[in-house]
Amino acid sequence: MDGEDPQAADLLATARDVLLNDLLPALPSDKAFAARMIANAMAIAARAAEATPGPDADLRALAADIRAGRCDPGSARHAETAALLDAITRARCAVSAPRALG
Amino acid sequence: MDEARRDRLTDWLRAASGDASLTIGRMALLSGGAIQQNWAVDVSGGHEWVLRTDNAATLAVSHGRAQEFALLRAAFAAGVTVPESLFLCEDRDIIGAPFFVMRRVAGTAAGFRVVKSDTLGGGRVACARSLGRELARIHSITPPRDDLAFLGAAPNDPCRAFIAEQRAALDRQRLPRPVLEWGLRHLERTAPPAIPAALVHNDFRTGNIMLDETGVTAVLDWEFSCWSDPHADLGWLCAKCWRFGNDAQEAGGIGPRAALYEGYGTPDDARVRWWELAAHIRWASIAVDQAERHISGLERSLELALTGHMVPGLEWEILRMVEARDGR
Repeated sequence: MDGEDPQAADLLATARDVLLNDLLPALPSDKAFAARMIANAMAIAARAAEATPGPDADLRALAADIRAGRCDPGSARHAETAALLDAITRARCAVSAPRALG
Repeated sequence: MDEARRDRLTDWLRAASGDASLTIGRMALLSGGAIQQNWAVDVSGGHEWVLRTDNAATLAVSHGRAQEFALLRAAFAAGVTVPESLFLCEDRDIIGAPFFVMRRVAGTAAGFRVVKSDTLGGGRVACARSLGRELARIHSITPPRDDLAFLGAAPNDPCRAFIAEQRAALDRQRLPRPVLEWGLRHLERTAPPAIPAALVHNDFRTGNIMLDETGVTAVLDWEFSCWSDPHADLGWLCAKCWRFGNDAQEAGGIGPRAALYEGYGTPDDARVRWWELAAHIRWASIAVDQAERHISGLERSLELALTGHMVPGLEWEILRMVEARDGR
């Protein structure tokens, strides 16, 4: 059986609203940066709790192959590697930095 | 700073300045990073100084302040707008760590505030031009220099040296970073020819440059300086990741690229663009290392933890830059 509702993402989003709407306006200005960092951390954690994992890949082997030039433009693996890196990074951005995806 | 240290500091400053009646008025911590501390020090005679020292916990970087002092002196002599450095103390027994004293300069450096202002630095176009002039002065400092011997030998081929250093940094990290490898391999495939190295500030960006309404008041944070391709500084400043969200102003979110280039002289635009991709890779790698300080327990910090979450966005930008440069 799943854990009791509401789940992690809901709790984090709700708590974050309290932080930003109720607490932040009452904080001295030198604490606003810390409060915004906490809100940012909660948003990342909430997205992580609901994220779908990116593609499976042996990243160490991939890194070595790229460095050795085995995935360069003109090679058979180039297009496939570019697409794989895009998919991996898109999934990572969806959690850490969704705005980067435009 | 406790009273005993303050007394020792007063005695030391009296000897260094030749003013036997010098007294310290106000002393306030301006900013305390993980590595450095900056203290505002008001002394008799109306002098406003900054004392820059290492955090006691990080004494491993033993010559840090002495080197920075030498860089500031060299930059000042070359006409770069830096605070005038006054006294260096390498004796740890005075305040617990080596320190130097420089004149205090007024202005605003904070990135998000700077990029929002249409008037700071004399306005966007004038400011970008000034930044170009500052960089040209920095790059007029060329190796070899006895006073900067700690920088080591200049690389024969700065672009390839950069790639080798970044790969070595990746090899020291806990996890593989295929996207950074992808960017570095692209840089290797497209590296411009060797170029004579000059002094590169290596962190010349919005946030490290102090401005007031008339212009640049100080170029700060010289601790990463090295001998390299001078275009590295232009690329670091122009890199999208250092525009603080104000992407349309390509010179650091502050002003137009054309004005920066005009102030500088005649930079090679293709080289600058190569270094902009390099800048994203280097910043991503630094961000990984910063997050690792938190993850390893060396320095638990929410700010460091969040810096790690900037890496995927930088990687996405690296992929897009490589794609555009490869003309796919």
